[in-house]
Amino acid sequence: MISPSDPSPVPGIPRISVLSLSVPVAMGYVPLGMVFGFLFVQAGAPWWLALTASVFVYAGASQFMMVPMLAAGLPVASIALATLVVNLRHMFYGLSLLNKLPSQPGARWYLVFALTDETYSVLTTLPPGTRAGQMVTVALLNQGWWVLGTLLGAVIGAQAQIGLVGLDFALAALFAVLAVEQWRSAESSAPLWVAVASYGIALAVMPQQALLVAIALSVCAGLFWPKSTHEEAAP
Amino acid sequence: MIDITYALGVLAAMTVVTFGLRALPFLAARFLQSHPLVQRLGRFLPLAIMTLLLLHTLVGSAGQNPSGPWAELVAVVTTMGLQWWRRHALLSILAGTLLYVALRNVGFAS
Repeated sequence: MISPSDPSPVPGIPRISVLSLSVPVAMGYVPLGMVFGFLFVQAGAPWWLALTASVFVYAGASQFMMVPMLAAGLPVASIALATLVVNLRHMFYGLSLLNKLPSQPGARWYLVFALTDETYSVLTTLPPGTRAGQMVTVALLNQGWWVLGTLLGAVIGAQAQIGLVGLDFALAALFAVLAVEQWRSAESSAPLWVAVASYGIALAVMPQQALLVAIALSVCAGLFWPKSTHEEAAP
Repeated sequence: MIDITYALGVLAAMTVVTFGLRALPFLAARFLQSHPLVQRLGRFLPLAIMTLLLLHTLVGSAGQNPSGPWAELVAVVTTMGLQWWRRHALLSILAGTLLYVALRNVGFAS
């Protein structure tokens, strides 16, 4: 649903509205959340436990990973370790948001808690000077879609089937749009080519952990990134 | 049936690990903010990580597509081209997604 009250872009300043950033996340999070809720209930857990996972853990990939491990009754420590490996990349997200998040403790720590791949990508794109309230709104909306999807999947169960293949491409499209925006505002396109090369290497070496390995390689390359020559001129 | 106490223990451990990872850079913020390496990463990482998330999503999606990665390629090039041209996020995302859904559900007889 596209609301006509969606604030129109200010002329001259390209601005992406909070709602239009959350809609594509919804198109990915609702169906994916439904799959999680459905699988979790199928594995023998009550619906409210699926909801608890999406409210408190809120990390898609590790929630999916946890379903068979929980059903197999693996030790808590080994599930925690697997979560650590799968979510390790989230640690790097904060590095580029240190100066961007609001300083009010409530808003700041909720945003840190809600720092999934998609919410990170949306937060990095918001223009400087975005109000804390708007940042929290977009993060709350995103988690709301995930929780809603989980609830639908857990409660409706087998009847909840999506007729069209490929709607979850909206998430890839969101990443594509945000990559273009980062590309346009970057001082050089080198990070993009470094990322492509890192991912190629990671796929060849460790396809199971390609994303994590590629991020680690990119971070290493970024450490050698030369200091900006326009440091003083930059705002 | 999954034991509830055990499951709650697993969820609590996962919550602590996930939140801890996300919070670590902020807990060390006073040290990190002034560090030149971190400022370098702050300028380098957003484009690199966004590219990686895009690649990873595309590779995952193409891996589940029996007729090859063509639908993904066409849809992502369309999305990025539209975004570069018009800079309208919702338009680019909707057009790219609808094109992908059409390619997957109608065309591409394998």
